[in-house]
Amino acid sequence: MNRLWKWFTDRWPYYQLRDLFLKEDIPGGASFAYTLGTSLITIFVLQAVSGILQLFYYVPTVDHAYDSVSYLRTEVPFGWLVHNMHYWGAQAMVLIVALHMMRVFIWGAYKKTPLTWFIGIGLVLTVMAISFTGAPLIWDQAGYWAGEVGSSIAGQVPLVGDLQKIILRGGEEMGQLALSRFFVFHIGVFVPFLALLVGAHVASFRTSGVGGSWNEEKQRLTGPLWPDQIFKDMVTASVVFFCLITLSVFSPVPFSGSADTLNISYVPKPEWNFLFLYQALKYFPGTLEPIGAAGVPAIFVLLLLIVPLVDRNPERNPFRRPVAMACLFAYAGAVLALTIIGYLSPGFAQIPEIKETKATEQKAAAPQVSPEVKRGEQIFRSSGCLNCHKVHGEGGSVGPELAGVTLKGKSRQWLTDQITNPRLHFPKGGPKTTMTAFSNLSKDELNDIASYLMSLTGGGNTAAEAPGGGQKNSTKEAEKGKQVFEANGCSGCHKVNGQGGSVGPELSDSTLRGKDRQWLADQITNPKSHDPNSIMPALTNLSKEQLDNLVSYLMSLTVGASSAAPSGGEGGPVAQQGQKKTAVSSEVAGLPEVPSEEKALEGPVGRAAFIIGSAENGADLYKEQCLSCHGVGGKGGLPNPGSDDGTVPPLDPIDRKLHNADVRVFAANIDKIIQHGSMPSGPHPALHMPAWGDTRSLTQEEISNLEAYILKLNGSDRGQIINPGIEPRMFFFIVAGLYVLLILIQGGIRIKKNIP
Amino acid sequence: MQDKPVSEKNEQGLTERRSFLKWLIGALTAMIGLITGIPFLRVLINSAPLQKLSYVEVGDISSLSIGQPQDMNFQVRVTDAYLQQEVTRSVWVIKHSSTEMMVFSPICTHLGCHYKWNPQTRHFECPCHASVFAVDGKVIGGPAPRSLDTLPHKIENGRLYVEWKRFKVGVSDKVRV
Repeated sequence: MNRLWKWFTDRWPYYQLRDLFLKEDIPGGASFAYTLGTSLITIFVLQAVSGILQLFYYVPTVDHAYDSVSYLRTEVPFGWLVHNMHYWGAQAMVLIVALHMMRVFIWGAYKKTPLTWFIGIGLVLTVMAISFTGAPLIWDQAGYWAGEVGSSIAGQVPLVGDLQKIILRGGEEMGQLALSRFFVFHIGVFVPFLALLVGAHVASFRTSGVGGSWNEEKQRLTGPLWPDQIFKDMVTASVVFFCLITLSVFSPVPFSGSADTLNISYVPKPEWNFLFLYQALKYFPGTLEPIGAAGVPAIFVLLLLIVPLVDRNPERNPFRRPVAMACLFAYAGAVLALTIIGYLSPGFAQIPEIKETKATEQKAAAPQVSPEVKRGEQIFRSSGCLNCHKVHGEGGSVGPELAGVTLKGKSRQWLTDQITNPRLHFPKGGPKTTMTAFSNLSKDELNDIASYLMSLTGGGNTAAEAPGGGQKNSTKEAEKGKQVFEANGCSGCHKVNGQGGSVGPELSDSTLRGKDRQWLADQITNPKSHDPNSIMPALTNLSKEQLDNLVSYLMSLTVGASSAAPSGGEGGPVAQQGQKKTAVSSEVAGLPEVPSEEKALEGPVGRAAFIIGSAENGADLYKEQCLSCHGVGGKGGLPNPGSDDGTVPPLDPIDRKLHNADVRVFAANIDKIIQHGSMPSGPHPALHMPAWGDTRSLTQEEISNLEAYILKLNGSDRGQIINPGIEPRMFFFIVAGLYVLLILIQGGIRIKKNIP
Repeated sequence: MQDKPVSEKNEQGLTERRSFLKWLIGALTAMIGLITGIPFLRVLINSAPLQKLSYVEVGDISSLSIGQPQDMNFQVRVTDAYLQQEVTRSVWVIKHSSTEMMVFSPICTHLGCHYKWNPQTRHFECPCHASVFAVDGKVIGGPAPRSLDTLPHKIENGRLYVEWKRFKVGVSDKVRV
């Protein structure tokens, strides 16, 4: 064996290379402070290996990138580990690069090896570039928008901006060409470049020697790199690895949903390591933008570049370099502060003028608010009324909006009755109310709430104690009609004054103008009489009086034009033609209409079932689209007269028949209903589930997010790891056990052999 | 290696020859670099020609309420390089009357995010960098460099048709890309 080894080393420079890398004397001896650099190399190796492993599954195409990553994460043994370690490794790399740089600055090491410092800046920039080009590869919401916005910023740089953007995206849009490029830049351009720079970095400080301790006394004694320093490096690297595994097990990367530009309920924000630039950009509005886009990053880099040029003082002890240390803290502080502000910023606009007007409004209103009203508001909020009711647009949409016209003309007595016993105002046989009876409130509390509610009507009815006493009959009818409207869940599909669903047309002035009473009554009881393709459910269970009231209410929505008198056939036909198509949906109009026959309710499982969605975004979409019928948190919904259940089915817990232990099957079961809709059993159900997928009211990506949310409500995780190899937690305990074992063994050896 | 003593003239000739050879090595390398480098780099700068414009049917507008912005989705078949895809696009429309409307591209003029309508403030707001636009598309806050981009459109038989275009983001002029 020895002869073979000699034969090899005679022909290959093994010892020369080993000495090049490992033979080095460190002035002042080994220290844990110097271990960050090797940690970075270790992480680089981890990233390369975990990256290549992912490539065995990943495809860089817009239609399958997300799914291929999802598959790797859930169905490949240890795929979750590889992906999560790659993600957390990337985060750690950025963080440790920053720490390493600070360490070098504090030790004044750049004074001994300025070239190493310059190459180091190149390394920082390359790491940032790899981080930037890596995120879009998953083609999820987070990555897509990071790529879209990031490359747009690159496009704002003066002179070379357009060229940069075209090189990055391969065109104008963030499409397939852009994804291919991010992919190649990530793995094929920046990573080899990084490896090259790492080599140059190491060679450079081997040539000029390492800095070592700043203390001149200590510098006289040197310690060898191998094995003293490398041992400490290895300890740090082991700790880093342990942290990465821990994070991968206990804080896996969330599924942010497949990229979807139409889903505007997603608020894009950059990765944390770009937050400081994101926040800085906000301070450069309008024409100053290019300064923010190019100038700010340039200044950050320039400041780093001039460090060895400006600071020529040979002193390395940080305690004798107050100015340099102050600069370091200012620099790091600025980055940290911008990052934190960026992290906390809500993303959404806050315009100063509006804040002011709001403030002044509140000030103006303040003197008029009596203590009763204030107390009432507190009780109102703490009792959870906002879960169902909106007040000035804030709150749930199960119940009616309470500010404005809804409560106008209602007396104090009517309101307290409504709160303590809501069924009192909904006679038997008529529409039901789902409102909870708040019987546990004291008399004073009730009085306060009533005062508060009366203050919401704009001050109209405080004096009028008799319900609707002074008002015209028709308004009273309309008021009742509004109750019928709400009780039957019409707002689940129709918007009125901007509140309600968007399946059907908004019921406002323009859509109902020119319609007479008979037309409206026909539309409600038999929508197909006006449009055979209408998907609107027929409300045949209404009494004559209820129907009359509902029609009066709808007529009241038009601005007094058509009045109670039948307006004749003139406006009819024209308007009817308009109505014809809108029955499908204003949002999806123009698409192939959904046939209203029962068979439309069946169909294959849609694409959404195979996408692992984001439950978080699904919750937001649920509030916008589903809550008005299915209720807060899917706990149970509106009354659905004419169906066997009597109400819209709850989603938490969902029908047992849809349940399945396999999350893929569970999602597919739900998917069919969301895609194609469903018709509840019963004689004449007033409400039915619209076909969100078939009508393209929701994108497949949005549906996948909703499915993830509904699964979550039912205790399932759409992103559940189906084939983990070893269960993540179990894996963690095995790893932790090995670490402990190794520490014990080395402790034992030390004691036995008496090694300090 | 050479046994014979070399004459001075000969040596001078060799030196000249060798420096010429070095020059030639450099020149050949440069030539190869140039003739491959320029076209090779050009491969990376690939901007697709502007797509042909055509009006796409967006949908029925009779149900829209006057003055209320509404986002409307529509399907188009697009060619993304070599991929033929059915893509859903959206536009924001504001109806002024049955024959007049305004159609906005859904893309924020700042950095290309998709903005939202805020019914409370009656403004369009972008979630990325907090740009704010009035209902007529004018910038009233945030970093956006120009008003929302209007799209050419026509109304036929109560249905809206839009000519879909993209404009360069982040600049004050509306430049089609």
